[in-house]
Amino acid sequence: MMNKSTAGSSKNVQGTEVPVDLGDSVSTPDDDLRLVALAQKGDMRSYDALVTRHRGRIFAMIRNMIHQEADAWDLSQEVFIKAWHALPRFEAKARFSTWLYRIAHNVVYDWTRKRKIESAGELNDEIFERDRIDPAATTAPAGGEAPDESMSHGELRVKIEAALGKLSGEHREVVLLKDVQGLSYKEIADVMGTSLGTVMSRLFYARQKLQALLKDEYKSR
Amino acid sequence: MNTNPDEAKLALWLEDELHGDELKSFEQWVLTQPEHIAAREGIRHWKQMISTTLPESEEPPYPDFFNSRIIQAISQPVTAAPAMPAAKATPFWKSWLMPASAFAGMVLAFWVGTQTSQPEVRQTVSVPSKTEFQPIVYTPDGEVNAVWTSGADASVIVLEGVNPIPDATDFTETVYMDTDHEIDSTAGRDSLPH
Repeated sequence: MMNKSTAGSSKNVQGTEVPVDLGDSVSTPDDDLRLVALAQKGDMRSYDALVTRHRGRIFAMIRNMIHQEADAWDLSQEVFIKAWHALPRFEAKARFSTWLYRIAHNVVYDWTRKRKIESAGELNDEIFERDRIDPAATTAPAGGEAPDESMSHGELRVKIEAALGKLSGEHREVVLLKDVQGLSYKEIADVMGTSLGTVMSRLFYARQKLQALLKDEYKSR
Repeated sequence: MNTNPDEAKLALWLEDELHGDELKSFEQWVLTQPEHIAAREGIRHWKQMISTTLPESEEPPYPDFFNSRIIQAISQPVTAAPAMPAAKATPFWKSWLMPASAFAGMVLAFWVGTQTSQPEVRQTVSVPSKTEFQPIVYTPDGEVNAVWTSGADASVIVLEGVNPIPDATDFTETVYMDTDHEIDSTAGRDSLPH
């Protein structure tokens, strides 16, 4: 197991050693860049610190994208493993976190594509969505929340997640990056590999659809 | 959505992404537009509702194990590919010369094939018709002249200079036949010895 409390150091432009907090406290872009510089030299402890700093955001992002915790756990790991191998090419033109979101975007879309191919011809479990089942059917499942969902998530969160699940992948991602992760339009365009105008357009329509799906909750707050 | 410069700037202002002088100059106009101010408030309200409900960061289950698996994966040396003869880089000219050579070889082989089979074709084509056939007739005696003529129904060989065959000539004496009984081809069936 890695020792995450050990402090590392990197050289600044004057060549003096600058201590870097390897703990998982507040992550700043400057700290990230120092850790990245150390990790690029092969320092595993620095990379471990970077993983600790960013794993929560990446996991939350992927989990909200695919709505499957176990797969989100695996895919988040894949993001950090791919990031390690691509680290020599990271040039600090963007924030390290934005760069990670870009890798996460690719990993999630690859996973989705493979899953579509593998599940071709299999039973489509989307037909079991609750709103598509006749509530009068004698075998209809109970419509209430599962107990564990009810405990770990608020009612609103469940509704927002359900509404997000009804958006397309692009619309869902742009809402999550903007409204949850707080990225700028420019950063989202970099992450999704698209133009600023496309991001603005997607966000506009995604919010409209979400607000329509959540109109009761949205108006009452 | 129209993304001309003003629209794009308005979108940035609505998201609180305009700063500095750009913000000041834009707000001189936009703060006189009540609908845009209301729109920005609506977006702020929306973002607050979403961001307070869905956490920006959420620790993955078993976070230490999460890290250790990553470190383990990236610490493993990249497994070398199975030992194979070192592949030499193919020169550019080889990339088009090899297919061209193969094609030329196929054409040559086809041509040689057609050349070697031609005599058989000619034999078949040049077989003389029945009327053109002139056989060579050999005769045992140099003074005997043999003439072969062929008609529609029969072929006839006329031997000139052959002495008349005496009636007493017994042809059976000139032929050896490996049989228990002597056969007289001129005799009737009733004359066959029993």
